[in-house]
Amino acid sequence: MFRRILIANRGEIAVRVIRACRELGIESIAVYSDADAGALHTSLADRAVRIGPAAAAESYLSSDAILAAAREMGAEAVHPGYGFLSEHHVFAAACADAGIVFIGPPANVIERMGSKISARQLAGQAGVPVVPGDTPADQSDEAIAAAAQRVGLPVIIKPSEGGGGIGMKTVRDASELAASIAQARREAVASFGDGTLYVERLVERPRHVEFQIIADAHGHVVHVFERECSIQRRHQKVVEETPSTAVTPALRQRMGAAAVAVAKAAGYQNAGTVEFLLEGTGDAARFYFLEMNTRLQVEHPVTEQVASVDLVRAQIQVASGEPLPWTQDDLAQRGHAIEVRIYAEDPARDHLPQAGRLLLYRQPSMPGIRVDSGVTEGGEIPVHYDPMIAKLIAHGDTREAARHRALAALRDYPILGIRTNVPFLIELLEHPRFISGDLDTGFLDTEGAALRARLSDDPPPDALAVAAIDSAPVGRATDQPDPWATLRGWRG
Amino acid sequence: MADVTPLGNGRYLVADGEKQSLAYAAGPADARWVFLNGRVYVINTNRGDTPRKGQDDELALASPMPAKVAAVKVSVGQQVSRGDVLIMLEAMKMELPIRAPRDGRVKSIACQVGELVQPGTPLVELEHEPGGEKREA
Repeated sequence: MFRRILIANRGEIAVRVIRACRELGIESIAVYSDADAGALHTSLADRAVRIGPAAAAESYLSSDAILAAAREMGAEAVHPGYGFLSEHHVFAAACADAGIVFIGPPANVIERMGSKISARQLAGQAGVPVVPGDTPADQSDEAIAAAAQRVGLPVIIKPSEGGGGIGMKTVRDASELAASIAQARREAVASFGDGTLYVERLVERPRHVEFQIIADAHGHVVHVFERECSIQRRHQKVVEETPSTAVTPALRQRMGAAAVAVAKAAGYQNAGTVEFLLEGTGDAARFYFLEMNTRLQVEHPVTEQVASVDLVRAQIQVASGEPLPWTQDDLAQRGHAIEVRIYAEDPARDHLPQAGRLLLYRQPSMPGIRVDSGVTEGGEIPVHYDPMIAKLIAHGDTREAARHRALAALRDYPILGIRTNVPFLIELLEHPRFISGDLDTGFLDTEGAALRARLSDDPPPDALAVAAIDSAPVGRATDQPDPWATLRGWRG
Repeated sequence: MADVTPLGNGRYLVADGEKQSLAYAAGPADARWVFLNGRVYVINTNRGDTPRKGQDDELALASPMPAKVAAVKVSVGQQVSRGDVLIMLEAMKMELPIRAPRDGRVKSIACQVGELVQPGTPLVELEHEPGGEKREA
């Protein structure tokens, strides 16, 4: 087992990995940019190294800075988390060259699965169905537009490198092609340093159902069941759950076998996720391989809660050469888990990202609730990085139990100083279609406006009363219960 | 009728005679943040109402959040139509277009490509065409 691991990430996932290291008795090394000098992950690790200025390109995305820190600190392994360098095969190869273990798959596997073209070829060869699509060798705007027409509108145009919905554009009408291609290209270059674009047929009303897999260096591959991630806004996931309301035992077996087949064909090692589009529900549903994410997923906790496993711990064990801690037969699903992502954004203003200081931040603590977060009260949400600040995961015997737990926890999760999507998430979890499990990836496109319309900004009298008394000098000076500060019958 | 009792550390007990709940508050008097039953409100306790903007001939457009200026799409004196992208901002991995809210002419540009801008800082100033034939209420 490793003695010292460097965590090449920030925010809640860096905190998650630091905690796994601590549980395994491994020393954790955090890295931080100037914007994160006071961040939770920076203070929580055993040691912390500054790697550069706030801009991600010069800090969390800088292979050189991170490898220099790893060498200087004598780290034997690097955990990349998700995003940033987690799917950069060049970085994984540079780690290997430096004699440092990259906690993830081998560089050549990242490269192959990171390209949607070769990943789809591989899935097809492994007998797993794929959605029709094309990446023209001629990458001119005209050739991409021609490819879109060949595949057949509507299409999605997306960067061949990368993920997380960045740069992905849906085109339904040929007149939108030129503008969408140009914008996808700009965002692809800005986020991934590579403007190669891929065109794919849009499957209408699909569900996004993905399978967690994990493989060791001894040829063992297991899947840890599915996650339903259909609640997305602009291809960014908002709510994830397991089991999926669309997946029956027979379908689960077929999809799980397909996910394992893809992983085996790729020579995969460590944790990964095989994403499928699901058309229909139940035994007769059709599924298509979408892509493989060669890293830990944001939504891994729902799998951990329902399968009673620790995926980060298993990642570290497998990377150190140990066999998988479980066989397929050891794994079972118990109950239901729902994760909601807490974003620093203003749902009332088109979900505009928010930055600023957390004046007050109190995480809920109650049965069946887990909060993975990277922020603390008084901390700053920088403008430079992803606006996701925390994840709330509710686990219960049934889907309804998990949903009610998530709702109770969100109603006891005050975050003040910046706007968040907490009020929006409460409305979402109360939506009749969510309650009945009638989901597809267009859910927020069709229901989002109605959900936002329910978010009135007008403060009720009780909120006005609280605001008034909070500004009263006596209440603020002592900040203690004070019968004289009680405001009776205050009316707004 | 609601009774509000401070419990310390930003927590408040709100009781209306039938039911009670916890609330949280923080921030300055002109922008007091209150959390109550899963909702967040920003309340100005200094004044009763937010002043409304007058019908100005000139209109300054500002960034809604801290962001980087990715592109300046117009030049001073240029005629623009409602909906035209004037400035492209970039923040948190997203492109944020600043669009013309109405027809007009670019009076001045107060930002440069690559510059980091703060919310409320004017980026570009629009004016109505001389003669004001396009003026609307």
